[in-house]
Amino acid sequence: MARKRRSSKNKKSQLPLVLGGGGVVLALAIGAAVVMKPSAEQKVRTDSHFNIADYRQDASRLTGNTYCLQARVENIETLGNDRMVAVSLPNNKQERLPLLVRSGVTGRVNLTRGDTFTFHVICRNGQDSDGRDVRGVLIVEKVESE
Amino acid sequence: MKPISYIVLLPLACGLLSLVPAGAQGLGSAKRPGGFSAADAQRQASGAQQPMMQMNQPQTGQMEHVPNVGKSHVDESSGETPNPQVLGLEMPLMDPSGDTMSYNGAKFDVGNNAAVRARFEKYLRQNPDDSKAARNYRKKMKEVLNITRKGARSRKEVGSENLVKIARGLYEMNEYVGDGEQSGALASAMASALAAQYANRERNRKNEKMQKEIDRLVSDTNILTSRNTNRTQSTRNTVGGSASGGGPPAVANTYKIAHNTKKISSLEATGIKNAAENVAALELSKINFQSTIVSLLMQRRYNHAMIGALTYRHIFNDGDTTLKLDSESQAAQMFEGGVGLPPTIGTMATMAANMRREVDQNMEAVANMLAQNKLGEATNSLIQAVAVGEYMESVATFPVEGRQRIAEYWNLRKRALPALNARDYGALEEIASKMKALDPDFDDTMLTSYCAGRKAQSDMHLRNAAKALKAGDDATFNAEMMEAGKIWPKNPNIAKGREQLEKIDNQDPVRDEFRTLIGRKEYRTIYNEQDKFEVVAVDPELKAQYKEAITLIGTIDGMLEQLDVAAQADTVMGPCMAYEMLLAKGEDDPRYKEDPKYRDALNRYALAAHDFTQALEKAKRSEESREYGSALSNYYRAQCLYPRSTTAGEGAKRVTDIILKAKF
Repeated sequence: MARKRRSSKNKKSQLPLVLGGGGVVLALAIGAAVVMKPSAEQKVRTDSHFNIADYRQDASRLTGNTYCLQARVENIETLGNDRMVAVSLPNNKQERLPLLVRSGVTGRVNLTRGDTFTFHVICRNGQDSDGRDVRGVLIVEKVESE
Repeated sequence: MKPISYIVLLPLACGLLSLVPAGAQGLGSAKRPGGFSAADAQRQASGAQQPMMQMNQPQTGQMEHVPNVGKSHVDESSGETPNPQVLGLEMPLMDPSGDTMSYNGAKFDVGNNAAVRARFEKYLRQNPDDSKAARNYRKKMKEVLNITRKGARSRKEVGSENLVKIARGLYEMNEYVGDGEQSGALASAMASALAAQYANRERNRKNEKMQKEIDRLVSDTNILTSRNTNRTQSTRNTVGGSASGGGPPAVANTYKIAHNTKKISSLEATGIKNAAENVAALELSKINFQSTIVSLLMQRRYNHAMIGALTYRHIFNDGDTTLKLDSESQAAQMFEGGVGLPPTIGTMATMAANMRREVDQNMEAVANMLAQNKLGEATNSLIQAVAVGEYMESVATFPVEGRQRIAEYWNLRKRALPALNARDYGALEEIASKMKALDPDFDDTMLTSYCAGRKAQSDMHLRNAAKALKAGDDATFNAEMMEAGKIWPKNPNIAKGREQLEKIDNQDPVRDEFRTLIGRKEYRTIYNEQDKFEVVAVDPELKAQYKEAITLIGTIDGMLEQLDVAAQADTVMGPCMAYEMLLAKGEDDPRYKEDPKYRDALNRYALAAHDFTQALEKAKRSEESREYGSALSNYYRAQCLYPRSTTAGEGAKRVTDIILKAKF
C-alpha cells in the first residue's frame, strides 16, 4: 500500500503540571526547527509500493501527494520540450504509468527508453487552454539516474 | 407397288390378315385417347422436323372404318393401284420399302400395328414351345413331309400306300393342340378328294358296263334287222309278194329292234350324264382341295400347304395342276406372279417353301444380331419372322433369353411413341439413351436433336415469361407460360414459373410485411426469409431496400464468421480484436447495432475480453470526467492487453496531447 506522507500538525495539549517543561521543550523545538529547517526534498521518499490500479481508478484522489518512483522508461511522447513518459514499475511490469516531464526537469539526466530512473513526482490538477480542468496528472519534479 | 412384291409378301399379308379381326377397325388409324393423335403432334411440331413419326404412324387412315366388301378402298381417281380382293375382302399388301402394309385404304407400320404389336408381345412373353408333345408333333411333321417328298417323285396312282401314310400321319398330328386342327382339315380335304375320285371311278365302271350292254343291244338289233330283211326277200321270191311282208315273226323282231333302240338311247344318255358328273365332280373336288391349300398358306401353315401341294398330283392324276381361278380375277393375277402364266399348285408349293426359308433366315439373322448386340435389327427381323412364320419351328423354339432381351428393347421402342405424342421430351431422351445403351447401333441423333430443340424452345418462352414477370406484365407472362407448356408440358421449369405466379398473387401482404420489417429495422428477419420476400424485388421501390437488407446481414454474418475463426486462433488477443472491430463497425454503421446477432457477438466478445473492455470503458469515462491521468493510464492498460488496439492508441494520443498542452 502506498504510504501517504503528510506533515502532522496536531499537537496534544500538555497537562498544566508540565506546562513549564512543555514551554521549554517548545522553545527547544522551535530552536531546532529554526536551526534544522527541513527542505522539500526531505518530504519525498522513494515509494516502491505505488499502486497503479489505484491511480487508474481515481487519480485525482491522489492530488497533492508526492512519490519517489523507481521506474523503467517504456515509451516517450514529445510535444515541444515537454515529454509524456510511460514507465513501468518493478512490482508491475505489465502496466504503464504516465508521467509528465516538463522541460528542464531532468537536468543533466538523459531519459532513454529501456533505462530505469528514480522519478520524484507529485499528483496535480491543471487547466487546459480553455480553462477546463485537467485532473490527476503525475508530474515529474526531479529525475535521478540509477 | 409392283405385282412381284405381292407374291413375295403375300403370306406376310395373309398372316396379318389372320391377326386382324374382320372389321379391322381403327388399325392404327383411330384417334388416340385424349384427342391428341400423332398427326396432331406432327402439326404442332411444325417448324421443326418430327423424327420417328414415319416410324410408327399410319400415313392415311379412316375413322371408325368398316371394310367394304367387294369394293376397294383406294380412290380410283387417285391413280393408286387398288389391292386385290379375295372373296370380296381386300387383301392387305406389304410394301417392303417402308415396312408398311396397305389395307383398307390406309398404310400401317408393321412394327406399330396394334394387332401385330399385341401378337408380337404375346409371343415375347411366351416360353419356347419345346414340350414333348410339340417335339412329337414336329417329328411327325418331318416324317410326313419326307413321305410327301418321296411320293412326289413316285409314279404311284391314287390310293397308294404313301397317301394312306400321309393321311394317317395328318390325323395323328391333328391331336396336338398347337396344330389348330389344320392337319385334320387337310386330311379331310384329301379324303374328300379321294372319295370324289372313287365316285368317278364307280361311274366310269358303270359307263363301261352300259357300253357293253349297248354293244350287245346293237348287235342283237343288227341280227334282228337282218332276219327281217331276209324274210321279206324270200316271201317275194316264192309267193309273188305278200301285203303282210313276212307274218308274225317279223313283227316280233321289229318290236325287239324298237325296244333295243330305245334302251341303247337310254344307256347312252346315262353314260353321257355320268361322264358329265365325273367332270363336274372332279372340278369341284379340285377347287375344294385347292381352297384348302390356299387357306393353309394364308394361315402360314407352310408345311401343311406343302404337303397338300405335293400330294395334289397323286390325288388328281390328270396332270392338270392349274389353280381354278378366273384368269381375269385379281387373285389369279396375284398368284401368277406377273409373268402372264396361269398360277398352278406348283406355285403354291414354291411359295410355301420360300416362306419357310425366309422365316428360317430371319431367325438366323435374329441370333446373329443378338450376338452383336444389334437389338434394333434383331427386333425387326423377329417381328417379320413372327408375322410370317409364327408356327414355324425356328420361331416357336426361339430361346427365352433372346425373347427377354428383345422384349426389353421392344418395350422402350413402344414407349417412344406415347412419349413423343405426350411431348415428354425428357422421357423421350431417356428412352433414346436406354435404347442406345442396349443397341450401340441405334441412331439417336435425330431424336435427341429434336428433343433438345423443343426443350430449348420451351425454355426460351419461360425466359420471356420471367422477363415479363419482372416487368410486371402479367398478360405476357401468362401467354409465354402457356406457350412453353404447349411445347413441353413436363418442362420442370414451368413449376417454378407457377410458383412465381402464385407469389405475385400473394404479393401485397408480403409487401406490407416487408415494409413493417424495414420500419422496425429487422433486417435479419428479412434475410432469414429472403425466399419469401424475394418477390418484393419486382417493385423497384422495395428492391433497393431488399438488397440493402440482404447485403447488410450477409456482410455481418461473413464478418462474424471470420472473427470467430480469429478469436478461436488466439484466445487472448482474439476476443479483444473481435470486440474492438465489432465496436468500430457499430460506430461506423448504426444499422449493425440493430442486428441481434451482432449484439450477441459483441456481448460475447466483451465478456471474453473483460479486462480490455473494462480498461477502455474506464478510460472513456475518465476522459469524459476530465480525469486525464486515470484515462491515460487506462488507455495504457488496454494497449498492454491488446497492443494493436486502435481505440486505445488513439485515446492515449488524444489524452497525451491534452496533458502536454495543459498548465499545472
